[in-house]
Amino acid sequence: MLLYTFLISLLLVFALPLLWALSSSFKSRSDIFSYPPQPLPAPAVLDNYRTLLAEQPFWSWFVTSTVVALLSTVLAVGLCSLAGFAFAKHRFRGKTILFNIMFSSLAVPFAVIVVPLFIMIAKARLTEPYFALVVPWIAPAFGIFMMRQFAEQAVPDALLDAARIDGCTEFGLFRRVVLPLLRPALGALGVWSFLNSYNSLIWPLIVISEPGDYTLPLGIQALFGATGRQYDLVLAASVLAAVPSLLVFFLLRRQLLEGLTAGAVKS
Amino acid sequence: MTNQTAHRPSVPRPTAEEPEKPATWWSRNQLRLAPYAFISPFFLLYGLFFLVPILVGLYLSGTEWAGLGTPQWVGLRNYQDLLGDRSFWISVGNTAVYVLFTMCVVVPAALLIAQALNARGLRGRDMFRLAYFMPVVISPIVITLVFGLFFEREFGIVNGLLRAVFGFGGIDWLGDPLWAKVSVTVLVLWRWTGYLTIFFLAGLQNVPRELYEAAAIDGAGPVRRFVDVTLPSLRPVTAFIAVTVLVNTAQIFDEPFLLTQGGPGESTLSVAMFIYRAGFQRQQLGYAAAAGVLLFVVVFALGLLANRALGVGRDNR
Repeated sequence: MLLYTFLISLLLVFALPLLWALSSSFKSRSDIFSYPPQPLPAPAVLDNYRTLLAEQPFWSWFVTSTVVALLSTVLAVGLCSLAGFAFAKHRFRGKTILFNIMFSSLAVPFAVIVVPLFIMIAKARLTEPYFALVVPWIAPAFGIFMMRQFAEQAVPDALLDAARIDGCTEFGLFRRVVLPLLRPALGALGVWSFLNSYNSLIWPLIVISEPGDYTLPLGIQALFGATGRQYDLVLAASVLAAVPSLLVFFLLRRQLLEGLTAGAVKS
Repeated sequence: MTNQTAHRPSVPRPTAEEPEKPATWWSRNQLRLAPYAFISPFFLLYGLFFLVPILVGLYLSGTEWAGLGTPQWVGLRNYQDLLGDRSFWISVGNTAVYVLFTMCVVVPAALLIAQALNARGLRGRDMFRLAYFMPVVISPIVITLVFGLFFEREFGIVNGLLRAVFGFGGIDWLGDPLWAKVSVTVLVLWRWTGYLTIFFLAGLQNVPRELYEAAAIDGAGPVRRFVDVTLPSLRPVTAFIAVTVLVNTAQIFDEPFLLTQGGPGESTLSVAMFIYRAGFQRQQLGYAAAAGVLLFVVVFALGLLANRALGVGRDNR
């Protein structure tokens, strides 16, 4: 009983901020800061949502964010599984050292490369969101590592050899044998990279300067920073912005949690 | 996407895939060359968007440059200036506080929660696991916005609760140097505890039950079992978590940036924010690059140390 009390109160602690945001997004501007704080909106109004959608380019932010995240995800899943397959199942000269080079890049802080990377992208005039927000991040080392860990176990060598004897090329092998076997891990990596891209803040903040190219976090940031913190609009935008990430997470939650931990537990 | 890969595509396949065609150079060598082809996209991107920026950063760190004109070579002066820059040291100190807090509070808290979730016969484990993971799923801007609301001085729910329960509640959470730091660490605790719990729980579930039973038969109490069975079995996960947490918290940006903008004053400024400020707000690109190089050296050294101390990858290839 004590255990359940502990776990449930913890659940409330984790959920409260999100529920509060949801509830407050239906409050009128003056009620958001009413004292004492009221847990439920009375009366519940849709004004915040209406104003947001009517007066702010919310859909444009939404589309940019979603398309960028989907593009990054598809490309990252493809490239990481390809490289992960090679590192798990092929023997080649320099494999260990190449793997270590890749792996050590995980320890390099983003803050180190951010200034020069921005200069390069800006000088090459590649600050268009579908390039700048997607291309540098489509082969994350973490994803390759995760895929390698998974492929090592999930792909039996005998199956590969059998397909090779049947005259299957290496890429054909990847497409027809390996990819289907990697499916659970692909889901995990997919959610991981979707969330990473969809929620990312610092890089878009640096590289995107045109308000017309804003992603959701940038849009919300702008609403927040501009004219006296429009909490009503910001709350509505936050709730709407959270929908895709929650949806993706709930659809693929099992794969995500298991895929993320697979690499860690085995070491 | 994977659906279609299971059956044959109707498009004509490239010659290399037809065994009856004469063997081309590629088809003869493909087994040997394929792995290189498969990892080449990564290394191409790695070179372009990682290696080149690092080299550019190293070069820039020896220059003075505001983004226009040619960078002026100044040698090691940026580094000298950094070592004498009070703001830089403040940001280093703050970052150290965040790292220590995460290591000493967030990680043990996650282990404790995982231990609770691992209780035998627990109902709704998956639901708890999911709910605890949720904070990572939500965009940081949304989260900090809500926390900003909670910590609001006059109308915030935190002060409201304090007032209701203890009769006082005038704490200026985001405006007082000490409390602002506390607020940022609370946010870190809230965001990352559940995430780490998932990893600890996975590790705990991998511990064979027989080990506990054997220890129990030997008369070991719960504390003894925890120290002698649980902790050693959790070694790989703990190592993974410690290294990840160290490297990630050393570059903490989102929480202080969104919640307090590094303020009041510089009381919550982190090193990553220092670099951002120098590079993108003050146009001191060389200076920012030098701070980046220093951060890299420290993080890399700490990562190696943690690796050694905890034996990550000892049984790795």
